[in-house]
Amino acid sequence: MLLEALEGEETVVFKEAAASVLVQVEPVGRWFEAYVRRRNRNVSASFQELEDEEESSEESEDEEFQLEEYPILRTLDPKDWKNQDHYAVLGLPHLRYKATQKQIKAAHKQIVLKHHPDKRRAAGEQIVEGDNDYFTCITKAIEILSDPVKRRAFDSVDPTFDNTVPSKSEGKENFVQVFSAVFERNARWSTKKHVPKLGTTESTFEEVDNFYSFWYNFDSWREFSYLDEEEKEKAECRDERRWIEKQNRASRAQRKKEEMNRIRTLVDTAYSCDPRIKKFKEEEKARKESEKKAKAEAKKREQEEKERARQAELEAARLAKEKEEEEAKQAAQQAKKEKEIQKKAIKKERQKLRTTCKNWNYFADNEADSVKMMEEVEKLCDRLELTSLQSLNEILASGSKDESKAAVEKQVQEVNTQLQKEREAEAQARQAARGADQASGGGGGAGGKGWNEDDLQLLIKAVNLFPAGTNARWEVIANYMNLHSTSGMKRTAKDVINKAKNLQRLDPVQKDEINKKAFEKFKKEHTSVPPTIDNAMPSERFDAPAGESNAAPWTTEEQKLLEQALKTYPVSTPERWDKIAAAVPGRNKKDCMKRYKELVEMVKAKKAAQEQVAAKSKK
Amino acid sequence: MAAIGVHFGNTCACVAIFKDGRADVVANDAGDRVTPAVVCYRDTEQIVGIAAKQGRVRNAANTVVKVKQVLGRRFDDPETQNHKKETKCQVVSREERPYYEITAGAHPEYIAPEDVAKLIFHKMKETAQSALGSDITDAVITVPFEFAHAQKQALRDAAEAAGFRVLRLIHEPAAALLAYNIGQECSSGKSHVLVYKLGGTSLSVTVLQVNGGMFRVLNTRTDYSIGGESFTQALAQHLASEFKRTFKYDVSNNARAMLKLMNGADMAKHSLSSLGSANCFVDSLHDGCDFDCNISRARFELLCSSLFNKSIQPIRPLLEEAGLSTSNINKVVLCGGSARIPRLQQMIQDMFPDVELLSSAPPDEVIAVGAALEAGLLVGREDLSPEKECVKMEVSATDILVKEVDESGAEIFTVVLPSGTPLPARRHHILSGGGKLSSLCLEIYQRSVTKQPEKLSKIIIKDLQPGEESHKIDTVVTMKRDGSLHVSCVEQSSGKSEIITIGAAAAS
Repeated sequence: MLLEALEGEETVVFKEAAASVLVQVEPVGRWFEAYVRRRNRNVSASFQELEDEEESSEESEDEEFQLEEYPILRTLDPKDWKNQDHYAVLGLPHLRYKATQKQIKAAHKQIVLKHHPDKRRAAGEQIVEGDNDYFTCITKAIEILSDPVKRRAFDSVDPTFDNTVPSKSEGKENFVQVFSAVFERNARWSTKKHVPKLGTTESTFEEVDNFYSFWYNFDSWREFSYLDEEEKEKAECRDERRWIEKQNRASRAQRKKEEMNRIRTLVDTAYSCDPRIKKFKEEEKARKESEKKAKAEAKKREQEEKERARQAELEAARLAKEKEEEEAKQAAQQAKKEKEIQKKAIKKERQKLRTTCKNWNYFADNEADSVKMMEEVEKLCDRLELTSLQSLNEILASGSKDESKAAVEKQVQEVNTQLQKEREAEAQARQAARGADQASGGGGGAGGKGWNEDDLQLLIKAVNLFPAGTNARWEVIANYMNLHSTSGMKRTAKDVINKAKNLQRLDPVQKDEINKKAFEKFKKEHTSVPPTIDNAMPSERFDAPAGESNAAPWTTEEQKLLEQALKTYPVSTPERWDKIAAAVPGRNKKDCMKRYKELVEMVKAKKAAQEQVAAKSKK
Repeated sequence: MAAIGVHFGNTCACVAIFKDGRADVVANDAGDRVTPAVVCYRDTEQIVGIAAKQGRVRNAANTVVKVKQVLGRRFDDPETQNHKKETKCQVVSREERPYYEITAGAHPEYIAPEDVAKLIFHKMKETAQSALGSDITDAVITVPFEFAHAQKQALRDAAEAAGFRVLRLIHEPAAALLAYNIGQECSSGKSHVLVYKLGGTSLSVTVLQVNGGMFRVLNTRTDYSIGGESFTQALAQHLASEFKRTFKYDVSNNARAMLKLMNGADMAKHSLSSLGSANCFVDSLHDGCDFDCNISRARFELLCSSLFNKSIQPIRPLLEEAGLSTSNINKVVLCGGSARIPRLQQMIQDMFPDVELLSSAPPDEVIAVGAALEAGLLVGREDLSPEKECVKMEVSATDILVKEVDESGAEIFTVVLPSGTPLPARRHHILSGGGKLSSLCLEIYQRSVTKQPEKLSKIIIKDLQPGEESHKIDTVVTMKRDGSLHVSCVEQSSGKSEIITIGAAAAS
């Protein structure tokens, strides 16, 4: 029992409640799990309570809400339940999709109390037996509305819902009034809560943008399974059920598409009519233009600046260059002048020397001596420097004839010794070069008795030509050598074997040397021919250098190409050699022909040698 | 969704499965619902369970028992040293951790306690999976409340090594409460529960507060010196003296004979829990002499009376420390195999005369069942966020009371929101006031433990219609997380209402 309040007492708070404390709890049990889930969902306590309070306010409303009598309820045909308005049947036409489950249940209870056949019978009413009674409609209505899935299906096709989309002309005049109602109406299909409002003409850009981005990405829960023509439950077997399902799915998808199109059209129309969008667009355009202008101006200014800088730079460069050139010119002139002065001086000195010498009659008595002296003096004139000439002239000018003669002779002697020295040095150098030449030539020749380089080269060639495994190889090689050798020495197979073995024993460096030497010699031989041509017609050297046979040895690559070309172009081909030459890069027609002849020669020689040996062995 | 709950004890392990909304204990391949946590190492194989326990007589050096005692402990831990002294198996130190030296094969092997636990867990997994018929591995494992983090981690690692997917580790007393479905029906209400667990080697008593469906351990105490084995030991000593009396031979120095005698005593002890007397028979205990002895329950209770006293002695100080008395306890849950002993149950009942003892489920299986129930709650959840075994949450610090008067006019206080309620919380009460009064006064008080109530606020509802029927006041008390209070009162018949908000003091 509560206490009685005294007179004049008011509701009052005396003290604050103690703060909550943190304690450790055992992480078990379903209440703990619920707590964790709530905490993870990050719902603040106050929000949770607010929601709870909303619920409680609804609860308090429950008792108050009014049921509206549905006048045609008694005339409803239970067979046509699909077309009835379930909310109206339960007396909730004013709440419709906003009705809570509780309200629906309560309404159903009241309706049942009133319209149940037993109740009516008790009230003395005539009852139609079985399913034909209109009470079935009530049962159907609660069946649909109490099941969230079925209720959603029915809500989706709510007959009272206005699906219309305002036209453009309507929207242009009174945009906010026309469209805010439409959008509010359609917002109920959104799966997300808190649908943004259309706003007013003064809404900011963010608000408007948010609104349109929401509606362009509108996620609707509206679905059209209620309008299914076939009922899946009616099917008798699985195949039929499947067929029905397929049918239904198709029609649902079609309707859903239409619905999406409707929303899309609505948003499109609104967007195109929206005066705010227009305004924003214009603002944006103006802003962009001004920006563009500013940008262009800045760019222009920058370019001008750059141009000016470039010009200045060029000017400076030009000036510097001019100055430099001027200086160089001046310096050159100065140098030239000086040189000329010096030249003049030297000329003068020379003249002076000559005349003095002539005056003295070349310090000679007879003609021959004077001529010789004259020669010497000329030599002096040529060789001596300006200063020495000057000093000599001074001596000549100041001194007597004998003194002058002595001085001149001394000079002459000096010059002569110098000349002699130079000449000796030159000779020595030449000798040294020759000596080195000889020394290098001496090594290879000392290989064996009578084996000169040509022979060695020939031997190597032969060994390569008749590889190991050739019938009576060494005999054949010896024969080949005898046939081709220029030294004219007859060699037996034994000699050849010895030499070859010797060669093999030589280290590869020496072998290389031999090969190189062979190549140098070859080059020498081939270059020794052209000088004669050179001498004969020197002008042709520059006209047809390409016409000259390419002296470089044939590489294996080229050899292959040539052989290939020879095969591809048989003898009968017109202009055969031109084509072959074209097929071997780096070789002309002449080269190819020459090489071909060589090859033919070589093959012939080889055959001959083999035949000879074969004949010998037959004997 | 099926899931597994495992209780891994010192002496025994038990596994339960959660399936189709209920949790059941699974019998192992030997047909026992509890598997001894004993592992026997042979040169080619390892044996887990009853076979290993029975083989211990012959292969004591290579049989590991009570592995849970050293699990996750360092070698120099006093518990490890104790275990080393008692067990027949060699314990050596390696990197400061205990290892068992197993000499079954040609070379001595060193086995970590975690590997032993892994084998037992593996056995439990196989048992559960054979009963489920599928390879479900989601499991909840129980741990003693006093386990340190390293021990919990070692247990978790062992379970995971055995192939379990550990959903959570939960404390044994909490699992016991779950098994009896305490606090799970309704999220309001406050009660205190005592969990009395007498296992094979240890006794642990825990008092928990159940409030708003949440369990909160108020106090706990563990005694490692007493357990089921102590009773067996006492019985075996008695049997040995009986043998000595008959055959004039003292077997107490013969380890093998004592092991045999222990096994016999164990069986007899189990029988005595249900029968008035039991027969203990050991073949060729010594020198071909068979031993046969009959023990009555009274004899057994006499032998163990001091032990029994020791077993229930910690309860009172525990409650005192928590600021409770035996009358504050609403329920007592018995678990652990030795809680089956009738004498012990009687003694506890005497201590809590008007409290129901919960022992309807086999006490050694209760914890596994609770673990399975928790596993059933957790399985299928993607986010197992509270990986920590303890979670902090806000609760109200004080009782919130309303002052009323009884028929005689004396003041009484009615608790509208008990202390320790998880926040946010809302309680709905219907208070009544005298019908002849035209105004009513609700005085809201708060009260800390054992202190006098402090008046927080006064709510006046005026201008009521006096009548014959008493006024019904719908009172909704809401407390937010910070402790601030919100009270709304609505008189039912007239709809007169009064709302008040009391702020919270700054947290001290």
